[in-house]
Formats: sequence, structure tokens, C-alpha cells
Amino acid sequence: MIAMKQMVAVSAIALAAATGIARAEEPLNAEVIHWWTSGGESAAIAVFADAFNAAGGKWVDNAVAGGSAARSAAINRIIGGDPSTAALFNTSRQYHEIIGEGLLNDIDAVASKNDWDKVLPAPIANAVKVDGKYYAAPVNIHMPLWIWYSVAALDKAGIDKPPETMEQFLADLDKLKAAGIIPLALGGQRWQENSLFSAVLTNVGGAKLWTSVYGDKDEAAIRSPEFRKVIETFVSLKPYVDQASQGRNWNDATALLIKDEAGFQVMGDWAKGEFKQANKEIGKDYGCIPGLRPDAPYVLGGDVFVFPKTDDAEQVKAQHLLVEIMTDPDVQVKFNNLKGSIPIRSDVDVSSLDACAQLGMKIMSDPARQVPDASQMMEEFVYGSVQDIVTELWNTPMTVDQAIDRFEKALKG
Amino acid sequence: MGAEFTRHVRRNLVAYIALLPMAAVVIFAYLGTMAWSVRLSFSSSKLLPRNDFVGFAQYVTLFDTSRWLTSLGNLAVIAFFFLLICFVLGCLLAIFIDQNVRAESLFRTVFLYPYAMSFVVAGLIWQWILNPDLGIQATMRGFGFSGFVLDWVVNPRMVLYAVILATVWHGSGLVMALILAGLRGIDGEIWRATRIDGIPAWRVYLSIVLPMLRPMIITSLVLLSISIVKMYDVVVAMTNGGPGTASEVPAKFIMDNLFERANIGLATAASTVMLITVLLVMAPVIYSQYFRKSGRAA
Amino acid sequence: MMPQAKPAAAAKRPLTYQEVWGRAGIYAFLGVLALFFLLPLYVMLVTSFKSMDEIRLGLIFSLPQQFTVDAWVKAWTSACTGLECTGLRVGFGNSVKILLPSVVFSILLGALNGYALSFWKVKGANVLFACLLLGSFIPYQVFIYPLVRVYAQTGIYGSLPGIVLTHVIFGMPVMTLLFRNYYSGLPVELFKAARIDGAGFWKIFIAIILPMSVPIAIVAVIMQVTAIWNDFLLGLVFAGRENLPMTVQLNNIVNTTTGERAYNVNMAATVLTSLVPLAVYLLSGRWFVRGIASGAVKG
Repeated sequence: MIAMKQMVAVSAIALAAATGIARAEEPLNAEVIHWWTSGGESAAIAVFADAFNAAGGKWVDNAVAGGSAARSAAINRIIGGDPSTAALFNTSRQYHEIIGEGLLNDIDAVASKNDWDKVLPAPIANAVKVDGKYYAAPVNIHMPLWIWYSVAALDKAGIDKPPETMEQFLADLDKLKAAGIIPLALGGQRWQENSLFSAVLTNVGGAKLWTSVYGDKDEAAIRSPEFRKVIETFVSLKPYVDQASQGRNWNDATALLIKDEAGFQVMGDWAKGEFKQANKEIGKDYGCIPGLRPDAPYVLGGDVFVFPKTDDAEQVKAQHLLVEIMTDPDVQVKFNNLKGSIPIRSDVDVSSLDACAQLGMKIMSDPARQVPDASQMMEEFVYGSVQDIVTELWNTPMTVDQAIDRFEKALKG
Repeated sequence: MGAEFTRHVRRNLVAYIALLPMAAVVIFAYLGTMAWSVRLSFSSSKLLPRNDFVGFAQYVTLFDTSRWLTSLGNLAVIAFFFLLICFVLGCLLAIFIDQNVRAESLFRTVFLYPYAMSFVVAGLIWQWILNPDLGIQATMRGFGFSGFVLDWVVNPRMVLYAVILATVWHGSGLVMALILAGLRGIDGEIWRATRIDGIPAWRVYLSIVLPMLRPMIITSLVLLSISIVKMYDVVVAMTNGGPGTASEVPAKFIMDNLFERANIGLATAASTVMLITVLLVMAPVIYSQYFRKSGRAA
Repeated sequence: MMPQAKPAAAAKRPLTYQEVWGRAGIYAFLGVLALFFLLPLYVMLVTSFKSMDEIRLGLIFSLPQQFTVDAWVKAWTSACTGLECTGLRVGFGNSVKILLPSVVFSILLGALNGYALSFWKVKGANVLFACLLLGSFIPYQVFIYPLVRVYAQTGIYGSLPGIVLTHVIFGMPVMTLLFRNYYSGLPVELFKAARIDGAGFWKIFIAIILPMSVPIAIVAVIMQVTAIWNDFLLGLVFAGRENLPMTVQLNNIVNTTTGERAYNVNMAATVLTSLVPLAVYLLSGRWFVRGIASGAVKG
């Protein structure tokens, strides 16, 4: 039946195209390459697609599973001279070089109309603004280093309130272990190990160490006792992870919290989607901790869409319409609620966001606590080497001194 | 000399024309690409190719990168065991199947079907079977063997053998098919003669039959080597290089740097190193096998 | 193909005690290994017929208690890739569209190359062939950027001709190798006689050589169908959005990064994706060995 309808629709379009009837009001086609293929992600991007279609466009969805596969597909299309209308990237330096080569259209027209200089948090604006022009439309802010906990697991271990300092956190891990619960749910994959390390760095070292090591790549900071303490703390977490963590997907690690088999997990705010799908409630079944110190930095990661160079006026029009729609306040709230992230602009109605997102919005209103994600402060290959060090540090008996030397080499190049 | 050459060309002109597509592919697709990537390995290219010249800087960085060195070491281990086990297992299977067994075609199909599956499937499914929480270990523990351990995919010291297991499962059927085909082509007289002399069967296989199958053996080793040098999908599907960097391989290093890490200069340096290694190892084999005695064509 | 006289089976006399044990040993060896080889297929099949409730129990080797084909239906018709929930159907059609011309062209070209290399005198041809063979060892990834550039300039980037040409290029080394070695084993007298009769390059190729190439062509078909059907990377890069092969869709379905993994759908999708090469192997397995035996890979 559905196939029948589709056939009718297709032949109607074909007929219209052949006879030129629809010519006058042909919708703005926009092909969008992205990697949001899972249930929650699909629902989120459908918000964009629906809004775009409602505004008279025609969204052509091109999903490629896996971030790097999707990005290289987009870049190959750009190099091949057959670019999509828009492509998804992370809020990072991934797309800075193609801007330098003049392969992206800027979206300054839309940005200045909507006053992005004012509404965007500084780290996000910096990431999408190159040589004074906006080249990418940020669509969300992910804080990748939330600490999640299972209320029941903490109860069982006799922990009456969630930790507020690193010391409390470490003590709680011991209590969980004593109670026979997996203290720390981790998936042994490079990026997850790296998230854990980043969380230790921000919570032990604070915003200053984070930006001086990863941002300024300051040798003194890398060799400082504070950074040494970060590495030592990270290594000391090894015994709190279960044997089977290796290769585990992040959502399977979150599932351990959902089943109350594990106490804590360091994971981005997208983990909320898993809890929600399992009908768990914030505060009752699980909780979120933004940091383990009062001034814990709020790391701003996220996703952006870029718009490959084209002179086709229709395509440029489609690109601008996409930007308008993706950053529209209402669409932002709806999209981010499904994606688990928080809106990119401060001028939205936060009342419909969940408690964790509202907490995030509140922390983010303090510019002193906003710090850029590591991927925004260094080139991808540098960040890649850093992640290699972290994963080796976690999986081999590397000494702290060796680690420091390698950090220095990787960061200083 | 010149006139003779002209006559030679004229007589074989159509053959020259017929080989033009191959020449074009070799020159543009293979040699051209190789030259291009060697060129880029001397540049500072990151996300997009650049035309500058930085000397051997990328190579210095490359051999200073512990992940690359690990990858090379891993490839050596995997290649050695993969080729050895595939070869021994493939030969044994072929010899046993060749003993007039019943249901021969069934056995043959069973041993060969993995080769029809993609490496991705091989990696995924073995990852699942070897996963301690789901697979064999969990099942054995479920039966009451609580001390049973089979943690290859999560154990940094054993993970390479998990990869080898999956690739052997995938590739040994090919060796079996090639060797079996070779055995079928061997003159039955040999068996009669050796039986009269009272030579045990295993010695006949080892010292008479296998040497006769040299072309089959070389071809199967060449085909297996091609797949092992390019090995990427199976590792990604199975371990994604982990735990840590314990199962990283060169092709994955190249791929990651080419795309995920936007480091074309380093990636092309790595692929140049691989190319030279392959040249050094394979050129003598290819030469001796396919050219040395090709008297007729040359 | 008549079975040759073999040590264990030569005589019709009753088997000795030792020989009985020998036979038992042979079957035990083959049986145990057959189980090892079948284990993954078994796991894939039983998992694909289970419901997710049953899979959560974590017994991956047990038979499905409630046999259901839901996962298969879902994988084929409604599994989602991003916003499109069309299952593997579309990709299947695309893969067939890519497969047929790629296999035909790569085999014809391989046969032509092999024929020209082994029967005709072309200076430098062996050097070309050596380069081709060495080229087959380079990871595909290295070729992608330059090929994308060249394809873009010729306007075949992201199109069916583009992906077919790519498969022809990357299939050329092994195809040429197969046919060259097979033709080297053919009696050269045939060729010489035809030459004396005045037959030219194409006439000999079409009238004499091609008809004799059936055994090796079967081997070539099997190898190319497997390689092209299972390809993921080249299809993703060169086929274009309209022609993405089934393996790309499989990857999209299997590698979703969030939500509960629908293992049953994944397994069904995996088996579905493997069906074409599997069918080719099952139907022509005997020809594979026979084709190779006929001299395909002799040096």
C-alpha cells in the first residue's frame, strides 16, 4: 500500500517535471550529509528536516554512519566538485583548512542579521568564525564531560549525596567497590578513555590548566606538578573499571548505570537519551554532576553545519534558509531536547529543557567557566597523538614521566 | 635494429593496442598515484594536499610515532601466524578432503564459505563470539565453569591472536581450494610408485607432492599477502585497534591519518614505507615466480 | 573429474583395523574443523531468528525459543539509515547495478590482458604487469584522493560509470594474473596453427581463446563477485548518493552509535548482505576447484 502511494507520488513528480508544471514553485533542494543515524539522533535531525520542508524547502537526507566516514564523504564531494548543500562537522578545527582553501561559503549575511556576535558563547563563536567571517552554523552545545551516576547504586554503597570534590569522588569509588558494584562504567575505546582523562584534567587542574596545556601548549604547564597530579589521578582510576570494559560501546556502559550495576560514568550529555529511553527520571533514578569543583569549567563541544562553496543562487538561498532554520530559537529548543545537548544561544526559553540541561545553561551563563573543547584548541593530528598517549597510558604500564615527555612532544610538535 | 623493431611492432600492433587500457591503468592509476603519494610524503599536507617541500620531516615524525612502530610490529606478527596457519591448515584440509571422503563437496563448501563473507563480517562476528560478556566465555561460565577465561579480544597481550583467528577463519579455505586443485592434478602413478617403495604417506606429501604444488602455494601466499598488507576492515570491526594500541595495523594508521586526523603528509609517508617494504619482500617472489621462466611470452 | 588412486582408498579389500582408525581420524579432523568454520554462521542465523528479549538473556549459542522472522523483515524493508527507513532493499538494487558491469568489464579486460601477455610479443609488457601486481599491495586508501580529483575533472565522480571504472581498475591485477597464468598453460601449438592460417589478434581471441577460458572465467567470476559485492570503501567514495551499495547501508544499520543495538536485525542484515557471494560459492564451489585445477594458477 505504501509502495503504491510512493509510486503514485513519484510518477506525479516525474509527470510534473516532464511537463514543467511544477517549475514555478519548485522547492529549494538541500542535500545534507550527516552521521546522525541512531534513533535519538534521527529524531533530532528530523526536527530540522521538517522545519526546512515546512518553510518551502526540500530536505534530501544523506546519512553516513560514523563521523569520520561522513566527513570524508563530504570533503571528497567538495574536492570532486559535486558538493552537498550542507555537511555536518564537529565544533572543532576539522573544517578550518577547507575554509582556508576557499571551499566553503560564508554565512555572514544570516549571522549578522541574527546578531550571532551577541547570542553565541565566545568559544563557539571562535570556532565557527575565521578571519572575521562566520563559516559554520553551530546547532548545539555538547558538554562531553558530565559525570552521571545511578542513584540506586550509590544508595547501595551507602553514599548519601553525590560527590562535589575529587576527593569525595575517589572515596565514593572505594565505597562502590566495597559494595561489589562496578565503580566506574567505562567503554575501553580510545575516545572514551580520552573523555575520562579530560574530565580528570578539568576537575583536578581546573580551567587554567586545561587551557594552558591544551590551548597554549605551555611547556611549564605540561611539566607542572598540577599536570603530574592529573596523570597520577587518571592512572589511579584503573582499578575502578571492570575487566570487560575493553571495546565496550559508550551506551553499553550507560546501560550499566541504568541497570544499577555501576556507579559513575563520565560521558557527554547525549547519555541522557539512553536514560530517557529506559524511562529513568533525573533525580530519582540517575543524576548528573557538571564538575567536581565549584569553578569546574564547562567544556563546550558540539556540532556545526558547513556550507560548501557554490555559485548557484538557488543553492545559496537553500544554504541561508538552512542556517535560519537550524538556529531558530524554537527549532533549537526542540532539536536540543531530542539530541540531549543545550541550545547554542542564550536567548531561548529554557523552561522546557530537562534539569541537567537547565543546570548546564546556568553554568554556561558564567563566561569564566566556558572553555573550548580540546578539539577546538589543536589541529586534528595533534589531538590524535594526544589521544594515542592517553589510551596507551590507560592500557600499558607507562610511567608518569614517560607520559609527560610524550605529552610535551605531541603538543609542542 | 630500428627496422627490426618497426617490423616487430607492425606484426604485433594489435596486441600493443589491446594492452593500451592496461598500460593506461598502470601508468595513471597505479604508478601515477604512487608517485603522487610519494611526492606528498615530502610535503606538509594536512587535510588537503599541499605543494610545499619539507624534506624527510614526515618520515622522522613517522618513526618517532610509537603507534606506527606498534602497527608495524603487529603486522609482522599477524602476517607470520596468518600465513603459517592458513597454509598448514589449508594444506591439511585439502589433503584430508582428498582421501575420498564422503560428502566431499559439503566439506569443501563449509571450509570455503568464509571467503565469500566480507572482512567486516568476519571481524564483527568473531568479536561477538569472543566477547567475554556474551560469547564463549559467558556460555562456559553459564555451564558452571566459573573459572573459564577466553578474553582474547579484551586482553592486550592476546588480542592479536583474536585477529589472527578471524582472518584464518576467513582465508584458509582459499588455500584449501588451491591446494586441493593442485592435488587433483597430480599423477596417480606417484602413489603407486611410492607405495611399492614403502615410503609413508606423510613423507610423500612433504617431500614429493608439496614441492610439485609450488605454483599453487606461491599463488595462495601472494593472494593472502595482498589481503594481509591491506588489512583494515577486520581490525576496525573487531577491536578498532584496541585495547590501547595493541592491535593497530599499518593500513589503519594510514586510513586514520588520511581522514580522521587530516594528516595526509604523515599518511603518505606511511604508505610509502609500506610500498617500499612490499617492493623489497614481494618483488623477488613475483619475479622468480612469474617472470624468470616465462620464456614463451617474452 | 575421476578420483585419483589414493593411498587409503586404493583397494577394495576390507579395511584393516589400522585403516579404520585412520578413516575415523580423518572424519574427526574434518568434522571438528567444520564445526569451527560453521560456528559464526550458526551464531548469525540463530541470532537473526531471535527476538531482542531473548537476545538480552545473553545466550548467543542457544537456539531461538520463539522463532521469529521479524528481524529479517525489518532488515530488508524498514531498517533506518538516518531519516530514510527503507531497509536494505535499495542498496541491494544498487549493488546489482554496480556488480554486473564491473564483473563483466573486469573479466573481459583481464582475459584480454592475459591473452596479449602470454601469446603476443609486446616489449615492456612484463614490466607493466609487474607494476600492476605490485600495485595490488597498496592500500586502496592511498588511491582515493588522486582518483577523486581525476574523476571530478572527467565528470564521472559520484556516478555509476565512476564506480564501475574503479572496480575495473582495482580488479585488474588479480584478473590479469589469473588469465595470464591460465593461458600460459594452454598448448601454444593451437595459437601457432591459427597464426599460420592467417587469423589475427581478435579472431584468435574470440574464436579460440575465449571459448577455452570457461574454467578460469568461473574462478574469475567468483573472485570478482565476492570482492565487488563486499566492497564498502570504494562504493562509499565513488558511487555517489544515488548508487550507494548494500554494504554502505549495512554499515549504517550496524554501526549506529546510540541506542540499544538490535543484534537480531544486524545479523539478519549481515546475512542478507552476504547472500549473493554465498549463493555464488554454493552454486559454483565445485567449479572453483575445477577451474583452478585446470591450470589457472600454474606459474
